[in-house]
Amino acid sequence: MTQTGGVQPAATSSGSGTAGLYDILELILDRGLVIDVFVRVSLVGIEILKIDIRIVIASVDTYLRFAEACNRLDLESGRKAPARLTDLVGDMVESGARGKTGGAISGAIDAISDVFDRDDKEER
Amino acid sequence: MSSAPTSDSAAETTPGQAPGTTQEPAPEPVPDPAPQAPRYVYAVTGSDHPLRLDGLRTVGGDAGGSLSTVVHGGLAAVVSPAPPDLRPKRRDLAAHQELQERLMADGAVLPMRFGLLAPDDAAVERALEEKGEEFSRKLVELHGTTEFNLKAARSQEDLLREVLTESDEARRLNERTRGGSGTYEDRVALGELVARQVDARQRLLAEQVVQQLSGLARARVQAAPAKDDFLNVSFLVSRSRAHEFTEAGERLARDYGEGYEFRLRGPLPPYSFAA
Repeated sequence: MTQTGGVQPAATSSGSGTAGLYDILELILDRGLVIDVFVRVSLVGIEILKIDIRIVIASVDTYLRFAEACNRLDLESGRKAPARLTDLVGDMVESGARGKTGGAISGAIDAISDVFDRDDKEER
Repeated sequence: MSSAPTSDSAAETTPGQAPGTTQEPAPEPVPDPAPQAPRYVYAVTGSDHPLRLDGLRTVGGDAGGSLSTVVHGGLAAVVSPAPPDLRPKRRDLAAHQELQERLMADGAVLPMRFGLLAPDDAAVERALEEKGEEFSRKLVELHGTTEFNLKAARSQEDLLREVLTESDEARRLNERTRGGSGTYEDRVALGELVARQVDARQRLLAEQVVQQLSGLARARVQAAPAKDDFLNVSFLVSRSRAHEFTEAGERLARDYGEGYEFRLRGPLPPYSFAA
């Protein structure tokens, strides 16, 4: 599935594929059944994920980054470079570098891939 | 329990594997006087679920011991000894997820949120007793269904370009602030205007996409999209329509085309609908 705007094959959601795992992190960490008499271990990554979702808009900092992105835009050049989005399908490390799509806004989702990377190094 | 495991259970059940089987050597030979290690809890199913747990990894890896089940009434919970220092490591999250996928192949499952610990098996049993009715009801509701999660992003460059093309004010401010000229206030004004426009466009896009898929779903849960995404939605879909749903997602992605990215994940255990 190489064309831009493609859907990644749905059947590849197997947990062993880390690319798939990355996209469902929040489901595993933040949804699912909770039994309130049980203890939920405090997990660093969960807080990071939650922060990430909040940082969207409405800060001067964000505004300045949007302004800068607009300034950088070459309005004359017309169409953007095609097909860079397909690069995004990869493992978590690549997903962390996903800012390629956007530019102006980046957030703490990078941080959570950092957490993973660190863990992996520890384990090896 | 009425959540009889599925006509979809194409996967063959190994006949020797009785429900509730504990893996080979019992991990806790003397359960009573010595306090039992805390239990990591994975999932709740009907006790008539085949519970094929062979070959699965545990959360905590080698430190985690082996998987076992706690059965009470018509329900079963899958547990393993909790690792001492549980953190969301990639392989632990994967182990949690793989177990759900295995269970899901054979029948209805209530996947637990990652990281839940019970003090011991007895506590798990008490929970099954106390919440039994609720869990059974959910298992019936979720029987024959699966979750799909869709995240979507649109190229931010395209969005900005569109805003600047359509808004005179944005274009004017952009001209004024280019190359470091213009005031700080101009810059903030441009950013705010553009941010609002981008946000409005993304919301509209999200609405359109959700609308196109909702007809194939029984329920949905929408959450705040992360980072550059404009959409983060989970759909509860009948298994019989899972293929159709995937195709609809692919068609939709083709229709939006270049500059859009759709990440459809599924069939998944119904994390978003089990809580």
